[in-house]
Amino acid sequence: MSIARRHLLALPALLSASPLLAQGAPVKVGTLLPLTGVAASAGGSAKAAIELAVELINTPQPDLASMPLMATSGFPGLGGRPLQVVIADQQGSPSVAQNQALRLITQERVVAITNGYQSGLVQTASAIAERHGIPYVTGEAVATNLTERGFRWFFRTTPIGPDIAAIYVEFLQSARVNGRPVTKVAIVNENTEYGTSIAEVIRRTAEARGIGIALQIPYAANSADVSAQVLQLKDAQPDVAIFISYTSDAILYARTMRAQGYRPPILIGDNSGFSDDNFVQTAGDIAQGIINRSAFDPSRPGSNSFKVNALYKARTGREMDDTTARIMQGFLVTCDAINRAGATEPAAIQKALRETNLDAGQLMIGYRGVKFDEKGQNSMASVLLVQLRGREYISVWPEATATAPLQLPYKGWE
Amino acid sequence: MSAATIPTAPRAAGRWVLGVAALAALLAWPLLVEDEFIQRIGALVMLSALSASAWNLVGGYAGQISIGHVLFFGCGAYASLLGFTWFEWAPILGAPFGIATSLLLALIVGSPTLRLKGHYFSMATIALAELARIVVVNTPALGGAVGVSGPAMPRSVLDLSFISPLPYYYIFGSVLAVLLLFTWWMSRGRMGFYLRAIRGQERAARSLGVPAQRYKLFALLVSAAFTSLTGSLYAAMLGFVDPDSGLGILLSVKMVIAAALGGAGTLFGPLVGSAILVPLEEMTNAAFGGGGTGITYVVYGAIIVLISRFAPGGLAEIWTWLRARGTRRGG
Amino acid sequence: MILAQVVLNGFLVGAVYALFSSGLTLIWGMMNVVNFAHGDFVMIAMYVAFVAFTMLHLGPAIFVPLAAIMLFLLGVLVYYALVRHVMRGPMLAQILGTFGLALVLRYATLWVFSANFVSLPENLLGEVQTFAGLRLEPSRVAAGLAALGLTIGLHLLLTHTALGSRLLAVAEDRSAAMLVGIRPDPMQALAWGLGAACTGVAGALIALFFYITPTVGESLALIAFVVVCLGGFGSVPGALVAGLAIGIIESLSAFWIGPAFKDLVVFILFLAVLWFRPQGLLGKA
Repeated sequence: MSIARRHLLALPALLSASPLLAQGAPVKVGTLLPLTGVAASAGGSAKAAIELAVELINTPQPDLASMPLMATSGFPGLGGRPLQVVIADQQGSPSVAQNQALRLITQERVVAITNGYQSGLVQTASAIAERHGIPYVTGEAVATNLTERGFRWFFRTTPIGPDIAAIYVEFLQSARVNGRPVTKVAIVNENTEYGTSIAEVIRRTAEARGIGIALQIPYAANSADVSAQVLQLKDAQPDVAIFISYTSDAILYARTMRAQGYRPPILIGDNSGFSDDNFVQTAGDIAQGIINRSAFDPSRPGSNSFKVNALYKARTGREMDDTTARIMQGFLVTCDAINRAGATEPAAIQKALRETNLDAGQLMIGYRGVKFDEKGQNSMASVLLVQLRGREYISVWPEATATAPLQLPYKGWE
Repeated sequence: MSAATIPTAPRAAGRWVLGVAALAALLAWPLLVEDEFIQRIGALVMLSALSASAWNLVGGYAGQISIGHVLFFGCGAYASLLGFTWFEWAPILGAPFGIATSLLLALIVGSPTLRLKGHYFSMATIALAELARIVVVNTPALGGAVGVSGPAMPRSVLDLSFISPLPYYYIFGSVLAVLLLFTWWMSRGRMGFYLRAIRGQERAARSLGVPAQRYKLFALLVSAAFTSLTGSLYAAMLGFVDPDSGLGILLSVKMVIAAALGGAGTLFGPLVGSAILVPLEEMTNAAFGGGGTGITYVVYGAIIVLISRFAPGGLAEIWTWLRARGTRRGG
Repeated sequence: MILAQVVLNGFLVGAVYALFSSGLTLIWGMMNVVNFAHGDFVMIAMYVAFVAFTMLHLGPAIFVPLAAIMLFLLGVLVYYALVRHVMRGPMLAQILGTFGLALVLRYATLWVFSANFVSLPENLLGEVQTFAGLRLEPSRVAAGLAALGLTIGLHLLLTHTALGSRLLAVAEDRSAAMLVGIRPDPMQALAWGLGAACTGVAGALIALFFYITPTVGESLALIAFVVVCLGGFGSVPGALVAGLAIGIIESLSAFWIGPAFKDLVVFILFLAVLWFRPQGLLGKA
């Protein structure tokens, strides 16, 4: 309750405070997020991060000076004009996403649109941006086909399916269960676009490297009961169980596994639901040692990720999760391009986006950098593996960048 | 004789003038507004009015409250985009196949389902639509959970991929005009009479020799065909459909809501209902959506509640009431 | 052994479905009013339990009755403010009114509590117990017993008390009931209150093992509709039988065929039952 209120109070204060520091008419950027519907909790976290990003850009942040736009206020490339974000709710509907994209372009006159969340919605919204010739940058939608459409105005900063599958499979190849290599892998995935596509790419990558997927259990998201899936796993006894779920189901899985007394030697909970701070707060205590992929590792003091996470925590009382961090990074990359464009013409911003070349030190997230290939995909996106300790995810793999050593087997509630 | 016609003649003429003026306004307003977002809302009103009017044939005139009409909508939407995915057809060319599939489905499931009464019928239609959704989700050949897309870039005008929302407005509007003309013709003929009899007292209608089952099925077939066409048009405009947006239960409910709000079983009820609901939804979202507080739906829901509270028969009720008052005063 | 556990889990989930539907049976079956806001009534009850536990530090022994009372009041309020007027119109008006109400309740909750997921500690009623190799969660067992208790209670109320006869009389024929001196409004308000109170008990108990979020009612509401319809409108025992049957069928089909198909099996069976027995399992022809 208090968190929602705080957002309400913070927004007007932020909008009125920024013009004092930066000068000129604000530059408007549109952001599409799921603020109602089943993904509303993710949308709420993302909204707080976007508002934080606006505040960081519009006020000098010497502490974060290694990141673009942080040391100054507003857009120095545009004579110090401040940034204004117009957040729109896509309501989880492809049609509403398109309506709102059109509204942002024609009524709000935004210079670029970012994010969108669900891949299907990013697809319809970016089609409108493409037709109107407005840059669209998504920081989170992973469906591979988004960058295969031949769009000229579409860019994506997040790692996608193949990057994600690669790190899991490399990890599985090196992991040992009771001193022997992993042979039996089970995947449990929710059967909408997110779960289906990630499961599919993991299966293909694993099989190409000689690890068979012994069992795959697709299930319908937001179900009332998940015990049958857990019992199927308990029956099959895989070495590794990989869950690909949204928050609601992730919470149910953790609780049901405890109720059914089931713990696989290695438990992987892919990103979305398991990264969500809602999961960590409500079910983290009974899912100790769960492994997750993430591009965001705030566990190293002094890093940009650590500092941004601290600011976010001060604002919301919650940890920033990976999805939220990817959303925020996508937004920041867009702003950096607008600044380098030195103009608000869409074509100039598009050109600046194409020329983007950020290195790891200039980011708030653990990518190797940001550099778009000819399809608009960030070719420097990368992923690492984190493990839940207490109520925090700590980076554990690859070992070279790990904060702490990996702990196996999975502990769960003990 | 002549004394009786004198007061009605000017009223009939007045009605014609009113009708022509309304039609002219409907045709002209999008050209006078330059805002593309408003124009697009206009197109969406037409789309919603189309599906709600198609639903109205079964749900309003025949009184069989289907909450599964999204089944036919989905057939149309999927046929369009699958035609593109498989054969690279322009999406709208898939429409006849969507209609054919819808008719076939309506024929198969129609007879056993239309025998059900009241809530049982409504629940069965929900179950049918949910079945279709689950089947599509689990069938990769139909796009599975990911959904199917239209052409990323428009290839010819046949793709119906326009930057401006105006062509959509007029295309949807003309199809709506055809549907409304048909509805008007039907409601004045024997079929309309029978359907109203079935809605009022099905058992009595049967005992008087009305072949209730056959007429209900016929209404369902026409309704299914137009709902499917609406789905195809939607898919052509949006260029994407997935199981939730093409076969989700919310869409069925929205058809019912739009018709009920304006007045189910009336010719213009669904159009009036859509003309209120769609802008209301878009405007509340534009105004409050970015705040992330959910106030969008609190306002939207509250207005629906108020209308149902004060005009349970839909806004058509208010219209009838006003007219009754007008005639009483005039007479 | 695993199979026995699957059936047991299905039975317990079925009991939750029955519990979830008990209030809906009364309102929908008795009064012929569709309540599209039913899932959101359950959600409100879950938040009552959550607030009572986290802010007022009250245990289940208090927050379950508290939720029942709060929801009873909500039910009566909704009846007098909305349903009474809506019932004058066609059935569509009920869909319209309760759909709007559902949105208002759901998003007013989101406004106050945000969309974040919350939950109650999973061991409020004690730790998981093992009997003969079968694992039992106390909170789910409590939900199962409550479903049974509410069903029996409602059934006895309707069939063995004067109040029940009056409720049924009003449900059967409003004007005839008025002729014999029963005032329909208080009776129907009471029916709404009782239906909502059952929903309150259900929500508070489900909160013990489920997550809580403003949209939680949506995912459960559809199955409640199917349960009430399958059992036969107006049949309180029917809902219990249907709930248990659906729970077990879901669990077995999820285990054998795959969880993605469990609703497919349920809906096919549901349609088959309706097509061959149009009044539901225990409904009167």
